[in-house]
Amino acid sequence: MREILSIHVGQCGNQIADRFWRLILREHGLTEAGTPKEGANISANTNMEVFFHKVRDGKYIPRAVLVDLEPGVIARIEGGDMAQLFDESSIVRKIPGAANNWARGYNVEGERVIDQIMNVIDAAVEKTKSLQGFLITHSIGGGSGSGLGSLILERLRQAYPKKRIFTFSVAPSPLISDSAVEPYNAVLTLQRILDNADAAVLLDNEALFRIAKAKLNRSPNYMDLNHIIALIMSSVTASLRFPGKLNTDLGEFVTNLVPFPGNHFLTASFAPMRAAGQEGQVRINFPDVARETFSQDNFTAAIDWANGVYLSACALFRGDVKAKEVEENMAAIRKSLNFASYVPTGVKLGLAETAPEGFASSGLALVNHTGIAAVFERLVSQFDIMFDNHAYTHWYENAGVSRDMMATARDTIANLAKSYRDAN
Amino acid sequence: MDSALERQISAASRSVEEARRLAYHDPTRLGALVEQISVLADLRQKEGDFRKAESLYKEALFRAQELKRPDPDLMTGIYSLLAHLYDRWGRMDQAAAFYEKALHISEDNGLESTEKVATIKNNLAMIFKQLRDYDKAERYYHEALETFQAIDGDQSARVASVYNNLGVLYYSRLDVDRAQIMHERALTIRQSLKEGQMDPADLSQTFINLAAVYKAAGDFQKAEASIDRAKRLRSGINGFHPNPRRSASLLIDKNL
Repeated sequence: MREILSIHVGQCGNQIADRFWRLILREHGLTEAGTPKEGANISANTNMEVFFHKVRDGKYIPRAVLVDLEPGVIARIEGGDMAQLFDESSIVRKIPGAANNWARGYNVEGERVIDQIMNVIDAAVEKTKSLQGFLITHSIGGGSGSGLGSLILERLRQAYPKKRIFTFSVAPSPLISDSAVEPYNAVLTLQRILDNADAAVLLDNEALFRIAKAKLNRSPNYMDLNHIIALIMSSVTASLRFPGKLNTDLGEFVTNLVPFPGNHFLTASFAPMRAAGQEGQVRINFPDVARETFSQDNFTAAIDWANGVYLSACALFRGDVKAKEVEENMAAIRKSLNFASYVPTGVKLGLAETAPEGFASSGLALVNHTGIAAVFERLVSQFDIMFDNHAYTHWYENAGVSRDMMATARDTIANLAKSYRDAN
Repeated sequence: MDSALERQISAASRSVEEARRLAYHDPTRLGALVEQISVLADLRQKEGDFRKAESLYKEALFRAQELKRPDPDLMTGIYSLLAHLYDRWGRMDQAAAFYEKALHISEDNGLESTEKVATIKNNLAMIFKQLRDYDKAERYYHEALETFQAIDGDQSARVASVYNNLGVLYYSRLDVDRAQIMHERALTIRQSLKEGQMDPADLSQTFINLAAVYKAAGDFQKAEASIDRAKRLRSGINGFHPNPRRSASLLIDKNL
């Protein structure tokens, strides 16, 4: 078994968990309580163990750790139809929150809870036979997901140096902003992701909003955005869970997607994008799925496509697709993508038999593009404007994060942006 | 790995999980959770997984503070267990800091003359000795000594052990005269202890320590005589020593 442990941190991380686990339950034919649905053929899903731990009464418990510094979102999950799903011994719910301050999540509140979180993670890891790695969902602009998420990343890397750590990190949008201090939180978190994660899929709410709005024909809500993230996460792990002709595990993704150490920031795309519940109504042909998968406006982060090149790309197609069709279409798509001159090879491909529930077939692209530098440059320039005027830094200093630490993080991320630009 | 220990660990892990579930809904169960966590931490330490043991003890520490009225005795206990772990781990600075925290809590709560606190002071003194802060080490040994004397009287194995430790401390500071006085006091007590309380290994160690002191003072005859006594005692232990490393070393503190 190659199990994966999901760690959901903060408000955003747990809202994603809500959508993600709903989708995974449906994909595996389970009810919201984790029991097999009547008539569902569990034995066909050979790799249930990747995401679930089976207990004696035939119930499947998600391999998930839910962490938040304010109880709201987790309480809503527990009060809803998935009330019986999660193991209460792996939920860490605290008060009084990190107040949008990375330093509080990382130092003050973080210090109180990190050992409990690590003990819960250790206990979950001990239930696996051969853990492949961790998926972390969080936002990098807030306080809990960013600050506490950073602390978890650091401790996780120390404790499990050889396991894969994949983060799904919701980054601040260029235009929509939740709080004034987002750039500080984001830059400090990105530094930890750079040092401790194997790969990070950056997701920005504005891009998700644009995708959702274009495809739904109505104004999308956060649930729609998180559903897109859930579909991406599901597809990244599909090869591990379902049989297929071309299997791709987390390790293979990392090997293929990260050409230089540290340049492991990715963007993702899922196709065909439809509103939840409407997926199966239109059966589209494979060339359209492939085209939509690699369409620039379908990617989930604000990439500077015009001034950059592809360093690497992976595609995973699920469901009713033919290998020959995939090869033909991907050869054409590969030609149309502007790859770096020193990357002569093709796109890494994967095929899994089972499409997400409701879809006949689907496509996922994970892309490492140098245009992601734009995301870092924007955050650094917003950071600089505030930092040079000493705005808001007292909150961080009061919680044990000096201006020097902040400046180091800023320089690290500015260098990261430069390393991407240099790779052009 | 020792399969008995493995079984104990998996049983303790299950108990911790169950205690977590109960405490999740009912904060009055936190005390029981802290207890279960400490049990698991102790087993992890035995297993040699210091990282996990540390995380568990630290969780116990923070969870115990969530209680409405944290129990000072419990808090002192967890701080000193954590300090003991750091000591074994070779992280002396952290060990000293956590033992001192344990002492502060017990002093704030009027527990300073208990044997638990005296034990902490003895162990803390041993750490300061290793950190070469001899004045602090001496002060803590004396405080521990006073408490053990008040509780046990003079004829006590624990009192003898602290004398032994003071002797070792003075010897490391090259204060041979005082080292001799301390080891002779330890010897008097250890020789007069009743059957059952007397540990021949400790007694033989005292002779070895005294031999070192006599030799340093230039009295080689006495030194040789002490070594002979130690050898005879050792042969009486039938070659078996509960702590072989200790039996092999010349000068050693007595951990309480």
